[in-house]
Amino acid sequence: MAELRQIAFYGKGGIGKSTTSQNTLASMAHYFDKNIMIVGCDPKADSTRLILHEKAQSTILQLAAEMGTVEDLELEDAMKPGAGMFAPDAPGGWINCTESGGPEPGVGCAGRGVITAINFLEEEGAYEEDGLDFVSYDVLGDVVCGGFAMPIREGKAQEIYIVMSGEMMAMYAANNISKGILKYANTGGVRLAGLVCNARMTDREYDLAWALARELGTQMIHFVPRNNIVQHAELRRMTVVEYSPQSDQALEYKELARKIIENDMKIIPTPLEMDDLEDLLMEFGLEEEADEDNVGKAAEA
Amino acid sequence: MFILGFHFPAEKGNNIPDSEVVEKLDNSGVDFSDVNEIKMVSEAHGVKEELSYTNKDTFMFKALVHYAKTASTDYMIYTNRYQISELSKRMDSDDETMALCKKFDSMALFRIEAA
Repeated sequence: MAELRQIAFYGKGGIGKSTTSQNTLASMAHYFDKNIMIVGCDPKADSTRLILHEKAQSTILQLAAEMGTVEDLELEDAMKPGAGMFAPDAPGGWINCTESGGPEPGVGCAGRGVITAINFLEEEGAYEEDGLDFVSYDVLGDVVCGGFAMPIREGKAQEIYIVMSGEMMAMYAANNISKGILKYANTGGVRLAGLVCNARMTDREYDLAWALARELGTQMIHFVPRNNIVQHAELRRMTVVEYSPQSDQALEYKELARKIIENDMKIIPTPLEMDDLEDLLMEFGLEEEADEDNVGKAAEA
Repeated sequence: MFILGFHFPAEKGNNIPDSEVVEKLDNSGVDFSDVNEIKMVSEAHGVKEELSYTNKDTFMFKALVHYAKTASTDYMIYTNRYQISELSKRMDSDDETMALCKKFDSMALFRIEAA
């Protein structure tokens, strides 16, 4: 039996992590027969909706609150089998879905849900499911919050894929996540496995993403172009892989899936200092060099 | 590490010499000699443009023939196309190829056919 691989998709909020991860994992299951468990680590619980064809799955924290305590919760209540082509009895690989959930906005620590969920899944034997090839964590944020770094800190996620784009804040977040990986690389064995550029179709976006990858010591494993078919599929709560398996976009996710399955490049990243990151952004025209004489001056009337 | 879809072992790092990519193409088993023209169609904002490329003495030609003969469809994966352009700009120099590289660097969608 092949060794279980635990991967994670990190990236700035709104970058398209959940869409990218679900489409990629769907490709791994459908085209390459991989069996997968998704652990959604985002309080908005949207890491599994395209696999389940549902609005949002009940989260482990929600279910535990209903039951009174997480000890009263059963695995079959919290983990749902994928719908359609991802169901256990459908041809190809299967996908099991869980969502950690989180507290009400403004209350408590969102990372606590992640910790509770992973502990629960481990205790209930979810990681020992027969034939399971991959566990995938879909994690919000840029690791400024230690709670969201939980899958890294506890040595759960071993391979990190950072979803980014050629926009400034996405680059900052990718660099910050790399700092988080570096911090725990020696204690937990976590490694950066590559950047996935979920393209905004900005000028020189491929070059910029590759430049950042090189600086971090990793690879830009795949450039995912923007295509409206992704939104069309999402309206039906489906991945593109299921909505239109022969489409151009499905081929893009298939290729990304193949590369992740074959990927052996897992490195300790070399994050950039802020000045170096800003130099990179300036080189590619994302930031303009400030005229020091004008800093702090109001616009002239 | 992946270039043009080829896997390069992690110990080679993230800066693979161009010669090793050419070696992969040469050892791929693809016959490059029986193709004289690569036909492509680019599409951006609903506008289509037909393109023909015939310079057989270039890295670009070899990479395109390999893609056309081995890919499962005529759709060009963006990553591969950008990488072909990146390498071609270092290994080729003629005007026809450089003009194609410029088109490849765009956000347009490309389809390809070997003739």
